[in-house]
Amino acid sequence: MPSSNPLPPKENALFKRILRCYEQKQYKNGLKFAKQILSNPKYTEHGETLAMKGLTLNCLGRKEEAYEYVRRGLRNDLRSHVCWHVYGLLQRSDKKYDEAIKCYRNALKWEKDNMQILRDLSLLQIQMRDLEGYRDTRYQLLMLRPTQRASWIGYAMSFHLLEDYKNALNILETFLDQQQKGNNYDYEHSELLLYQNLVIQESGDLKEALKHLESSQDQIVDKLTLKENLGELNLKLKNFDKAAKHYEELIQRNPENTIYYNKLIDAKNLAKPEDIVNFYLECSEKFARAMPPRRLPLNYAVGEQFKVLVDKYMRKALSKGVPPLFVDLRSLYTDKSKVETIENLMLQYADALKKVGKYSEAEVNNGPKEPASALLWVYYYLAQHHDYLNQTEKAVNYIDAAIEHTPTLIELFVTKGRIYKHAGDPQEAYKWLDEAQALDTADRYINSKCAKYMLRANRVKEAEDTCAKFTREGVSAMENLNEMQCMWFETECALAYQRLGKYGEALKKCHETDRHFSEIIEDQFDFHTYCMRKMTLRSYVGLLRLEDVLRGHPFYFKAAKCAIEVYLHLFDEPLKDESAEQELNTGESFWNVH
Amino acid sequence: MNIRCAKPEDLMNMQHCNLLCLPENYQMKYYFYHGLSWPQLSYVAEDEKGNIVGYVLAKMEEDNEDLKHGHITSLAVKRSHRRLGLAQKLMDQASEAMVECFDAKYVSLHVRKSNRAALNLYKNSLKFETVEIEPKYYADGEDAYSMRRDLSEFAKKLKNRTDEKSEE
Repeated sequence: MPSSNPLPPKENALFKRILRCYEQKQYKNGLKFAKQILSNPKYTEHGETLAMKGLTLNCLGRKEEAYEYVRRGLRNDLRSHVCWHVYGLLQRSDKKYDEAIKCYRNALKWEKDNMQILRDLSLLQIQMRDLEGYRDTRYQLLMLRPTQRASWIGYAMSFHLLEDYKNALNILETFLDQQQKGNNYDYEHSELLLYQNLVIQESGDLKEALKHLESSQDQIVDKLTLKENLGELNLKLKNFDKAAKHYEELIQRNPENTIYYNKLIDAKNLAKPEDIVNFYLECSEKFARAMPPRRLPLNYAVGEQFKVLVDKYMRKALSKGVPPLFVDLRSLYTDKSKVETIENLMLQYADALKKVGKYSEAEVNNGPKEPASALLWVYYYLAQHHDYLNQTEKAVNYIDAAIEHTPTLIELFVTKGRIYKHAGDPQEAYKWLDEAQALDTADRYINSKCAKYMLRANRVKEAEDTCAKFTREGVSAMENLNEMQCMWFETECALAYQRLGKYGEALKKCHETDRHFSEIIEDQFDFHTYCMRKMTLRSYVGLLRLEDVLRGHPFYFKAAKCAIEVYLHLFDEPLKDESAEQELNTGESFWNVH
Repeated sequence: MNIRCAKPEDLMNMQHCNLLCLPENYQMKYYFYHGLSWPQLSYVAEDEKGNIVGYVLAKMEEDNEDLKHGHITSLAVKRSHRRLGLAQKLMDQASEAMVECFDAKYVSLHVRKSNRAALNLYKNSLKFETVEIEPKYYADGEDAYSMRRDLSEFAKKLKNRTDEKSEE
């Protein structure tokens, strides 16, 4: 419906220029044109102009005035879709999404087929997960623009998200029937087919999904996803031979993917540990450079066979000098007898290497000696081994022996620090990390670990100074880390402040992390339209599902737990003296802003 | 250790790994942009508990003036997991996907002039070649080597794979 107070041609032209200025972000000029209309005595209260003036002011950061003008405009022209749309946009920019949706709906009452408003409404609906509303809006958009690809995809997706698979699939099929087959590298068509297949799978009809996938193979360029799905579907449908073939091809492609081996074991119906071990041994011959076929049998082998395999595995790593050997084997430590076997072997290595330069004294006359570094890596391993078993003294002895052997190896200092951390001495721990950090100031990983240990030792200032070596110059480290959403730092910082009784500061850090999560939820907005255009629909659905449970992430949990503890503490023991209250206020003001 | 294609739920943990390891950092939205534009190109390495210990964040350069090619935005492996060959394996998977899904002819990247370890990996293990030096490429004023790796080997490998299939 047109405005109840239409402008004559000259003013109308000016009004159009305000709109153009808004789109092109020339806000100052927009205000100039608005002034020209409003200074005409006949149009001082022209609703749509007032509303646009308000929206423009909002973009210049003048929020209060913006609301004033937009509301005044609306009061003067309650039947204008422009005024309602503008009010909606203003609320949207203020993140009042529910209010904005109401405004858009009012706007549509007066102009029901306005594409722009319908699109804006649909974006808010999907963002707010008003799935039924979204479906209805997408229906209208499809009716208005039946030739646009996004109209069909959006409508189909709304049913998918509502778990109405039948309708979703009908719409996709109708749409695909109208499509012409593309060339070999039609990525978008390929993605659409994979999305269609995902919907069929989620509908529960696995047979149909398999049929669909097999018949569209040639049009799918993402062969990895194709194979993974073919494997999975055949496995679930108990077509074991076919499944096995797909997983064998997948392993060929990426022999470092442990999931493929597990699925292949399922497809081959291997259940006895010795069969599984043999399976891996066969694989290790085929894929000599791959890690899983050598590492995974250690999970299944027992007794003498375990000893033989782990012996070979560890010797190779020690000779080559693979520092992560312990973190690689750590998951075996749930089995006491395996821990014992490993320990005995390592002690044997240490002894023999010292005496004859071999892993076993019995081998004294076979072949050349091991490199001198092998003993170092044995000490390093044993230090981590004993640390893991809470045998602090032994751990320290071995790490000291290692440091004496090679005094410049950073990993050793990190491990020494970790031993003290585990033993409950964060002060001593941080000193060793500081030492490590000084040996390689160009490595951010060591720098980060050092900062973390400083925070564990409640040395916030030192931690910030340490981090500053890698943050952008010109801004404070805290500011830069916040800008980059560095949540581990904020949370460790909050916990340090909590221990120091600086509750306001602690809350401030917790709220920084909370705000990152709000930002990340906000980040979705642009992708609602973007993914529909790019056709990356499976990933888009993945994003929506991720955002639905985003605050389940451990980073959020840790920050929330700290904040809750601080608030409870302040409730139980309210601050008394003034200075402390002052301190707390910093935190509370964040709470309010938030 | 497990190497697999990255999913949307990995992106936050990739950001975490990046912040621990590298001086060039990005906000989450940039990770989402990668994951939602080219979901096939980014890979992660995870330990038994599912912690990300390394990643490659990659994209396609879609300007028309040049040959179609991929670009490595960021590659990191935690220092605690070095010498396992993870970086090379991550890069090979990403490169293969670039060829297979987007018909990339080569892959490019930038590396700090002072980063000898990375330079060694790119040059000697992955056969990247230096194209030019980009002066003051990094925020702190350091120069970057702009490097490229030809992907026709991957294209050949993929073609052989399809040929074998059609003979079956």
